[in-house]
Amino acid sequence: MLLQAHDVGWQLGEVRILQRVNFTVEPGEFVALMGRNGAGKSSLLDLIAGLRRPTDGALSFDDRPLEYWSADDLARSISHLPQMVRADVAISAEELVLMGRYPHAMGWSESDDDRQAARLAMTRCGCFEFRDRRLSSLSGGERQRVLLAACLAQEPRLLLLDEPATFLDIDQQLQCFTMLREEAARGVACIAVTHDLNLALTFCSRLVVLAGKTVAADIPVTTAAEDTTWLSLFSPRLVVSRTPSGHPWVSYA
Amino acid sequence: MSAQATATIRALSETRGDTRVRGRIRPVVFYSVLIPVFVLAGIAAVAIGSTSLEWSMIARVLAWKTLPAGWVDVGVITRADEAIVWLIRLPRVLVAAIVGAGLATAGVMMQGLFRNPLAEPSLTGVGPGAVLGAVAVFVTGWGASSVLALPLASIATALLALLVVYGIATRGGTTPMTTLLLAGIAVGAFLTAISSLLISINIVTWQAAQEIVFWMMGGLDSRTWAHVWLSLPFVLVGFIAALLQSHTLDLMLLGEETAASLGVEVEPAKRLLVVTSAILTGASVAVAGLVGFVGLVVPHAVRLLLGPAHRSLLPASALTGATFVILCDLIARTVRPPAEIRLGVVTALCGAPLFLLLLMRRLKEEEEA
Repeated sequence: MLLQAHDVGWQLGEVRILQRVNFTVEPGEFVALMGRNGAGKSSLLDLIAGLRRPTDGALSFDDRPLEYWSADDLARSISHLPQMVRADVAISAEELVLMGRYPHAMGWSESDDDRQAARLAMTRCGCFEFRDRRLSSLSGGERQRVLLAACLAQEPRLLLLDEPATFLDIDQQLQCFTMLREEAARGVACIAVTHDLNLALTFCSRLVVLAGKTVAADIPVTTAAEDTTWLSLFSPRLVVSRTPSGHPWVSYA
Repeated sequence: MSAQATATIRALSETRGDTRVRGRIRPVVFYSVLIPVFVLAGIAAVAIGSTSLEWSMIARVLAWKTLPAGWVDVGVITRADEAIVWLIRLPRVLVAAIVGAGLATAGVMMQGLFRNPLAEPSLTGVGPGAVLGAVAVFVTGWGASSVLALPLASIATALLALLVVYGIATRGGTTPMTTLLLAGIAVGAFLTAISSLLISINIVTWQAAQEIVFWMMGGLDSRTWAHVWLSLPFVLVGFIAALLQSHTLDLMLLGEETAASLGVEVEPAKRLLVVTSAILTGASVAVAGLVGFVGLVVPHAVRLLLGPAHRSLLPASALTGATFVILCDLIARTVRPPAEIRLGVVTALCGAPLFLLLLMRRLKEEEEA
């Protein structure tokens, strides 16, 4: 078991954000973490990334409680793409992606392998051509691809992505999710927060829906067309059908 | 990695050679200009002064002092030459270099840590703390007992001020940078007020008041080897500590959360960075008084030329800072001999227009982008 959440709860001051969250993630799974605004998706990702400590329950990675992991070890295993990254710095795209290698870089400077890994990640995310441009001069979508490349360059065993498709045009969204599916096929576990139900149904292997501060639905995509209770958690105006190729597909009623 | 992907990468990498980030220059170019300028500035600063010296005489004295006995013909060196080169000018130039390197390094760290272009070394209460220590020494007359009383007192109060500021800004183990900045400004203002109070109620003679005012303007007059040995260890250790944290500084540019998810233990890292920068600043201010604009302008200029990666930014800024202060001190003592202009006045007179120039260039770049 790669990741396990056992009765995880999180409270911020007096406000309870999450309670009794239970789920496990195996290597190779591509989980879509969904829910309405304020459902606690980003908070859950932050907890898994080790940026915050759960106030109740326990998270374990690799059968070892998260708090026993050092920040260094965790950074070599878990990569986290936050919703917002400061982009007002004068570093170039390639320098940023190389920072994804810092947890692996031994000693003073990055090795050729590190550079190779960074460039491969940039090619895969379609941002190699603006490697020498400053982060601050890139458009929102271009910047998002660079950040994604930094996460890939980190070569994690668990990828946490908070709305990776934000700012991306449709073609880039499809490329992004295709690439994440490839990562999953190579044994990396991916958890992606997304609001795009069809993107999730097309590419992910499993849907985890947060509602009422906890996991309200946790189903494999293959059964998403039959059992539609998960859909009503988003809006009463949604219906699910199947595409000619047999994929579940959500449309608006 | 598939064979095809590897081949693609190799092909892409080969086309790379001549590309670089716009506006930046290569480190090789930077150092091949700056190192000769640094060396020449150092030699010129020893040679030029009220008594002009031949360059060959400087070389002779330096060789005599550093090489094994008997290698150099001592006969032609007069006692005066020896004193001017070895006891008066060389220590002064070395202190200038140490102070410049220390302030520039501290400036790089503070700007990186606060992600604020206005951040400079004496934030977090360190500058006003050092001033208070110095004023206390002047007011009590301890300065007469030892040449080291003043530097030691100011470095101690600088670190003490940092401790107070950090303590105030820390709640439940975390120190938000904005709070640290504001606490630094508030405590700094308070300490400055105490310094002014001490001056206004205690100073009886004009001479003592003038000494304090001069010290606050920074200066390197009558600096000795004692000042070199006092500041060098601190600045050397601080610089190496800063260099070892260059990855952390890079990652902190992206924000604390991103840094944390890339393996930085944020709170211990911040403590280490702030203390390192305070040691560098404290040691510099202790031997040179308040020398403004070095810690602000030098990091900005070097960052524009080389980019913000700290591994190259830190050593390049240190060397630039050293060169800048050596040259400013040379100007300070040669413009209107035998009197000296205060060093802090020269660094500000040169630094402020330079800063504006950088600002213009940046605005222009932003318009073009």
